[in-house]
Amino acid sequence: MKRRSFLKNGALASLSLPFVQNGFSMQAIAKQLFDVPKSAEDKVLILIRMNGGNDGLNMVFPRDQYAELVVQRSNILVPENQILPLTTEVGLHPKMTGLQTLFNEGKLSIIQNVGYPEPNRSHFRSMDIWTTGALDINQTSGWLGRYFDSAYPNFPDAYPNVDYPDPFAISMGSEVSTTCQGLMGNFSHAVSDPFNATNLLLTSVTNDGTYYGGQIEYISTLINQTNEYGQQISSAAAAGNSLSNLYDPLNPLAVQLKYIAQMISGGLKTKVYILNVNGFDTHDAQVDQNDVKEGVHANLLKRISDAVRAFQNDLQLLGLEQRVAGLTFSEFGRQIASNGSMGTDHGDAAPLLMFGSCISNGIIGANPQIPNQVNNQAGLPMNIDFRDIYASILKDWFEVDQQVIQSLFEQNITYYDLLQGCTNSVSEKPIIAQQKPLVFPNPSLGQHQLKFMSGQEYLEVFLIDQNGKVLQKSFEGQLNNGQQILSLEIHTLKAGAYYYLLKSGSRQELVSFQKL
Amino acid sequence: MTPYTGPWTSAEAAHLLRRCTFGASFQDIQNAVGAGMLGAVNQLFLASSMDEPLAYDVGEQIVPLGQTWVSAVYPTNTSANQQTEGARMKSLAAWLAKNLNQESLSLTEKMLFFWQNHFGVSTSGDARAMYQYLQLLRQHALGNVKQLVKDVTIDPCMLLFLNGSTNTVFSPNENYGRELLELFTVGKGAQLAAGDYSTFTEQDVAAAAKICTGYIVQGVRSDTQTQVSSQFTLVLHDTSTKTLSYHFANQTISAAGALEYANYIDVVFNQADTALYICRKLYRYFVNHDITSWVEQNIIADMAQTFVANNFEISPVLTELFTSAHFFDISVRGAIIRSPLETLCAMLNTSNTTANFDLQSTYQIYLSMYGLADQMGQGYAAPPSVAGWTSYYQAPAFYRLWINSTYIKKRFDVANLLTSNFYNVNGNVFKIKVVDFLNGLSAPASAPQVIDDLCLVLFPKDIPAADKLAIKNILTNGLPDFEWTLQYNEYLADPTNPVFYNPVELRMQAVLNVMFKMPQFHVC
Repeated sequence: MKRRSFLKNGALASLSLPFVQNGFSMQAIAKQLFDVPKSAEDKVLILIRMNGGNDGLNMVFPRDQYAELVVQRSNILVPENQILPLTTEVGLHPKMTGLQTLFNEGKLSIIQNVGYPEPNRSHFRSMDIWTTGALDINQTSGWLGRYFDSAYPNFPDAYPNVDYPDPFAISMGSEVSTTCQGLMGNFSHAVSDPFNATNLLLTSVTNDGTYYGGQIEYISTLINQTNEYGQQISSAAAAGNSLSNLYDPLNPLAVQLKYIAQMISGGLKTKVYILNVNGFDTHDAQVDQNDVKEGVHANLLKRISDAVRAFQNDLQLLGLEQRVAGLTFSEFGRQIASNGSMGTDHGDAAPLLMFGSCISNGIIGANPQIPNQVNNQAGLPMNIDFRDIYASILKDWFEVDQQVIQSLFEQNITYYDLLQGCTNSVSEKPIIAQQKPLVFPNPSLGQHQLKFMSGQEYLEVFLIDQNGKVLQKSFEGQLNNGQQILSLEIHTLKAGAYYYLLKSGSRQELVSFQKL
Repeated sequence: MTPYTGPWTSAEAAHLLRRCTFGASFQDIQNAVGAGMLGAVNQLFLASSMDEPLAYDVGEQIVPLGQTWVSAVYPTNTSANQQTEGARMKSLAAWLAKNLNQESLSLTEKMLFFWQNHFGVSTSGDARAMYQYLQLLRQHALGNVKQLVKDVTIDPCMLLFLNGSTNTVFSPNENYGRELLELFTVGKGAQLAAGDYSTFTEQDVAAAAKICTGYIVQGVRSDTQTQVSSQFTLVLHDTSTKTLSYHFANQTISAAGALEYANYIDVVFNQADTALYICRKLYRYFVNHDITSWVEQNIIADMAQTFVANNFEISPVLTELFTSAHFFDISVRGAIIRSPLETLCAMLNTSNTTANFDLQSTYQIYLSMYGLADQMGQGYAAPPSVAGWTSYYQAPAFYRLWINSTYIKKRFDVANLLTSNFYNVNGNVFKIKVVDFLNGLSAPASAPQVIDDLCLVLFPKDIPAADKLAIKNILTNGLPDFEWTLQYNEYLADPTNPVFYNPVELRMQAVLNVMFKMPQFHVC
């Protein structure tokens, strides 16, 4: 018997990482740049996806414009005296008493009129925009996936490991979340029940006694046994606790949030939990025609309000409040005017909710303006770019370096105070993106952009490797004042860390990037 | 063997194609339904055309890039010679993976792999010899097995692999003679006494070695000879008369020079054990690992009878098997765990996903596919021993040996890779053509029908309704079914517009990613 030796002559040695040519090779310098601050390590973010397009105007009411709402959506409009007041201008749906309580305790904020430019009213395209955090049609990594890639660049190779034994993100249910799609893998782990945290995605496999049944039972058993994250999750859930008696066991969101409280209190180091609530696509019968404060949408809002209230109560009792913050999102809001079927059709911007004891409480942004006359099919225009909300959360909550954050997004970021309720720092005014040069996307595969502000200058851009060796001159030319964007090809570069050196009579600046 | 006379629906057609090819599309299954059982089975025996492996790697120093190296000399310089061999082996590995991925709807690739596992060759020292050997297996893949064993016996690659090239009258080497009996023909039975294995004895091993003496191999990595060849050399041949054991009725093999080995193989094939042994291996490859006494008496015996009656032509045996009631019996459907190569190809071939880039990128992608299967535990033409992969013979686990804690993770990694947009070679993104896959289904605008069709293509049996619902929710992104219909129709009205195309692609990628990780996908 001979040992196998087909192709053992070294030809295939390079195949240990065949996924991407040359694989990853993160350099020490990049690691420094992307290190996660200690104070951010314990922070947990909860994302609740309101799937289908949430009718923001039936959740957060501009009380000062009730008369206009009557004109536009009288058949579904909650009576004025039943709206739960938050401020003189803003109120909540009557079913959201739980969130009203949180608002009064300073644990709920509302971000008004969030959307993106040039809205697309397709559920699928619009949800892809919200989960990728990008308008670029070719972007398929998620906004959190890009952040995780920058901070944990070798994922999923060598994970889990001693330093990072737990999943970075958990998606409650049977599907991993697109928000966490990274370059080489999805950072989220799908969990239906943390006490039985298999990564079998669907229902349990039953052996029907045939050969087939025996084989799939064998495979599913093996999948469970080798699911290291599953064991971490199950033992954390078992070690964890839940102290609130406000959870309604018949409310699926409440059940999932209770699981999350148990996992967090049990010591799981997961940073992001994603939950999903279906049913917001309320084209017809959004409200009960006999009592418009009841109905499908009201039930969904109640489910969210009650569950979040219970969760927040639990976190308080567990002493975990300062570690956890939450955000809701939906692919779009709905049109201002209701339709004839007691429902609403796909629209544009909508309010987001943030919860937690560390949020910057209050109402962020102005009330939507409801005109007396609306164009056919008008939605609410966007006032706040959703990508800026994501960027602000990364900055405030995960304490990501602003230069890194800018490299994850395509827009010039405007930051908002969202999560400064637990910091003593003076809240900063929204600032326009920093003026330092940046590379987008970073890390990069085949091509990327170098963005920077220029003066009247003759500029040269050099490509430099990590040893300081100049590889080529990537650009030279006379520039005018303003923002510059250079599109650069890097197909031929080997994986690793590089710099661009921007050099002119008046400056010498370095910007680093990684080639995958 | 009792012929199958039950209904011929897409479930039966899909079962046939799952077992007999490396992956059939939804349309292939529908065509097979239309052709009827006999028509579909006959189609599998049609010959397929084949190109030759091409030079693509800069290590190749003789042949220009883009041309074949299979009959080209090697460089004289030692280091250049080694580099050229490395380049040719990479080319060969990539070409093998390409052939699996681009197979026509034919049994050829599946049977080529069967013989490759059967003879267990994993090295030659010369890429041309390995290529010739594999072409020999391909030539006889659906043909005469007795002739195949004869040709393999004096094939240069086999002579090198099992030391036949140094087996001489002066210094007999039993390596090939032993495996010829133990693994390639009569098989090894229970040990009756010292040196007696029920079907042969040590006396037969010694005789077989002597019978095969005298073949030498010329031209390995030669800078003058364009082929590796074997040559009979009378002075190295043992011209004595060889006497076989009582298992062979003490027959004698008299000296017959270059043809003596062929006379001997005729005798070996006259042993009833040879047909039975090969038919058992075919059964384990195509039907189920468990050879019960019922199977032995009713299936294996009939196969062997057909095999002998047709002078060891394999097509009649397989045709009978693939049209039998037992082959379609519900008790054996889904009984086989897919091998790594079958798993990889099932991910790609079911959607007709192939790599068609420039020569170098295409070969690099296929070399990388070779590597992916290798990492999952199966390097083509590189079995762990001359006995082939343990999954095909090691009781009691058999196919379960394909999957362990390391390999299941690799399978999931490969699923993640192929359902993403990040498999990038020289700027070319290689990914499953999920939208073409979708468009080839019976009703792409209907979310429930999409899931039904995908289950038919990917899973051996229907799955619980709750599972289908969960998968459907991934396709529709949790929305009502009509929203998927609207989205798909928008894409159809403007198919190249990424605003419509990309969301459809992303949903299908998510669906396939989940289905590829279900246990049901890993059996066939």
